[in-house]
Amino acid sequence: MNVTATAAPGWIGELALHHLDAAYNLGRWLLGNEHDAADAVHDAFLRAARAADTYAGGSARAWWLAIVRNCCLARLETRNKDRRNISIDSAANDDGDSARSAVEQLLPRSEANEVEERLDQAQRRALIARALHDLPQEFRETLILREIEELSYREIADVLQTPIGTVMSRLARGRALLHKALVGTAASEVTHGL
Amino acid sequence: MDCKTARDTLPLYFDGELDRAASREFEAHLDACADCRAALIELDALRSTLRRDAPRHAAPQLLRKRIEKLAATETSATPPTLPRRASGSPPRWLAYAASTVLAFAAGGMAVSLWDSQGRNTEPAQASATAQLARDLFASHWRALAAASPVDVVSTDRHTVKPWFEGKIGVAPVVHDFAEQGFALVGGRIDYAGSARLPVLVYRHGQHLIDVFVLPDSAALAGNAGNLQSGYRLDAIKLGDQNAAIVSDMDQTELAHFAQLLNATR
Repeated sequence: MNVTATAAPGWIGELALHHLDAAYNLGRWLLGNEHDAADAVHDAFLRAARAADTYAGGSARAWWLAIVRNCCLARLETRNKDRRNISIDSAANDDGDSARSAVEQLLPRSEANEVEERLDQAQRRALIARALHDLPQEFRETLILREIEELSYREIADVLQTPIGTVMSRLARGRALLHKALVGTAASEVTHGL
Repeated sequence: MDCKTARDTLPLYFDGELDRAASREFEAHLDACADCRAALIELDALRSTLRRDAPRHAAPQLLRKRIEKLAATETSATPPTLPRRASGSPPRWLAYAASTVLAFAAGGMAVSLWDSQGRNTEPAQASATAQLARDLFASHWRALAAASPVDVVSTDRHTVKPWFEGKIGVAPVVHDFAEQGFALVGGRIDYAGSARLPVLVYRHGQHLIDVFVLPDSAALAGNAGNLQSGYRLDAIKLGDQNAAIVSDMDQTELAHFAQLLNATR
């Protein structure tokens, strides 16, 4: 197959830029860090440009995200082969406690309250991030595509290259698992609106 | 609607996958059922939590700049003439093959159902067949629940056939049997395993019938009707092509329809 760069039709650039946040967000949740996610999106763009003629109708966003996902999976595979350190967002490991005590020591009370609210949010986010990262990949990606990116079942099926029935069962299972994980941790934490 | 059906419908309703009539039917049940309301509220709470606390990572400016630059250079360059393009446009199947290769090479995991079927041992083949049957049933039910069971609405086979050809590079035999009581409604594309299948949709009285056109290598074990929740899955021949019918017709109607399809060339 000819792999030299060919001129991409203008619509590829438009499509990729329009859904760049979606692509990057998917990459972040699949790969766990900024650097790999950005590189995967970059790869995906080059691949999309070369494979523009494989777009066969349907949701262009799903077509683009399918390519992004494939690039992420390829990266995951080499990473797992290398068996180097798998980096996970530092946010997922930082529950905000150390930051909180530092803030309490350094700031006057009223300002500390305000900061504390923000830290509560940071804590909640860390909790969710950890719960999501702990989910097996197939549930994590399905949940991100549906709940955050708001893709339809049909689009998700196109991104994951899987039947709609599989999308439905992964979504149900993923939701149940995440709910369980959050309820489990919430019991020992302050309220999270759950 | 009973509670068990409602539970299955609940995620579809919550995710906006039901058409208006089905939504209303579900809402009627919801009014009367506190358990289902609670389940719906739970789903909604989880979604709110995710949207609030699982922040959507925005693409960094640096990446955006990189892609913008790439897009500008790649698109402004004059397209080089590719050798394989020299003799006119590539055949349709090439685009299809390319997309398969792309998915295959990049994913590395998308081993298609059809590929594994021929080579595997008996139990594996049996489970592949069972998986295929599950996929076809799920596809049919989802189509029934969706706003429209078809992607292209047409009673004219001359519209449906080229539509498939343009989308997935295969052109199944399409005939309208309106005179015999089986009217062509249109077509859609669905997945079974990782393969994209053309689906011909017919209507017979109140029955909606899906005809899945299967790849040559795929076969459903035997001709025996496979039953699930009142729906039948039957392996048939569409001319010389393997196909499968999913519907809630009875056996006599089905046999008649299968005969019509088999006679098509």
